Amino acid sequence: MKKTILQALILLSMAAGVYLLISRVNWMKLFRIEKMTDALEQKLGDMVWAGMEEQSIEEGKEYDRVDSLVTAICKSNGFDRKKIKLHIMGDSEVNAFALPDRHMVVHTGLVNEVHNNDELSGVLAHEIAHMELSHVMKKLLKQMGYTFLISITTGEAGGGAIKELLGMLSSTAYDRKLEKDADIKAIEYLKKSGISPNGFADFLYRLGEKDGSLGSLSWISTHPDSKERAEYIREEARR
Amino acid sequence: MSMAPAFAYHPDESEAEKASNSYLMSLIAIMVGFPLPIINLMATLFFYIANRKSTYFVRWHCIQALLSQLSLFVINTIGFWWTVSVLVRENEHISNPYLAYVITVFVINVFELALTIVAAIKTRKGQHVSWWFYGPLTQMMCKP
Repeated sequence: MKKTILQALILLSMAAGVYLLISRVNWMKLFRIEKMTDALEQKLGDMVWAGMEEQSIEEGKEYDRVDSLVTAICKSNGFDRKKIKLHIMGDSEVNAFALPDRHMVVHTGLVNEVHNNDELSGVLAHEIAHMELSHVMKKLLKQMGYTFLISITTGEAGGGAIKELLGMLSSTAYDRKLEKDADIKAIEYLKKSGISPNGFADFLYRLGEKDGSLGSLSWISTHPDSKERAEYIREEARR
Repeated sequence: MSMAPAFAYHPDESEAEKASNSYLMSLIAIMVGFPLPIINLMATLFFYIANRKSTYFVRWHCIQALLSQLSLFVINTIGFWWTVSVLVRENEHISNPYLAYVITVFVINVFELALTIVAAIKTRKGQHVSWWFYGPLTQMMCKP
């Protein structure tokens, strides 16, 4: 009996040893998974953006205001500002979202809805967090699959697929855990930038109150449980 | 990994065939059931149930095949659900630990496959094959 138990333990140790040995190899690099995903992300980002480029405002006071806030967050957190492609859309929609390859889209409706720069910085930090945590590609890979995304870039999936992808990123939420991860990361970015996260919490709480009463509040309809989020942001801000 | 000690008696032709089939069952199931890990286990389990009142040699090899499939089942099930999680959950993605696990599972399955083929051939010739760990464990569970 003792001999059999010993043999079982040796066998388990051997299996664990094989795993540890194999895991020492960088398979992600060997299979070029990260490189392939990066190339795919860049292509998707460019294609999606090309479809909405005409409606964007690349200058003016709204652009300058958002640009200065994004630059301040990037500077304080050591991010390369040049890598973020900021786009302002001139309409009343209260929305902001991230597209593949670090395209960040902010609607002027959101810029006009916020009461101060702290509130706007909160939303921007949240979107930067989605980009930094690679949430955009994770969401697309999960919901559309690698093969379909490649077929979009080669044109095999048809023009409608780009619209579908844009609709998914601009009007549906990430899962609850990813949203919370982005919120927590945003708080970290705000604190490092010397901005109080309470502004972000106030904005969420206020929009939560309005939820359902205004049809143009896209950002809030894609980010549910705003009051609950406002509460844990306030809690995190106190730490 | 495998030993060929003398068995209590020399099995006849039909016993050797049935014992060999217990190993072949898991091989066929791998081809049919891949990537569902439960299929191999079910196949060897049903084969054991069908032969549980058979001769000592047949029962012995059915149990050894079943036990080896049981450990593979655990390893493959983890891999299967990890893959499902990578495909379905937004916060789970392809990572180095995941790829290393999948490759480990593949290596272990290939190794087990080779052992199973050897065991199937040897038992078909009426030779006894006792695997390291699984043999003594089978010996404890299977009495003449």
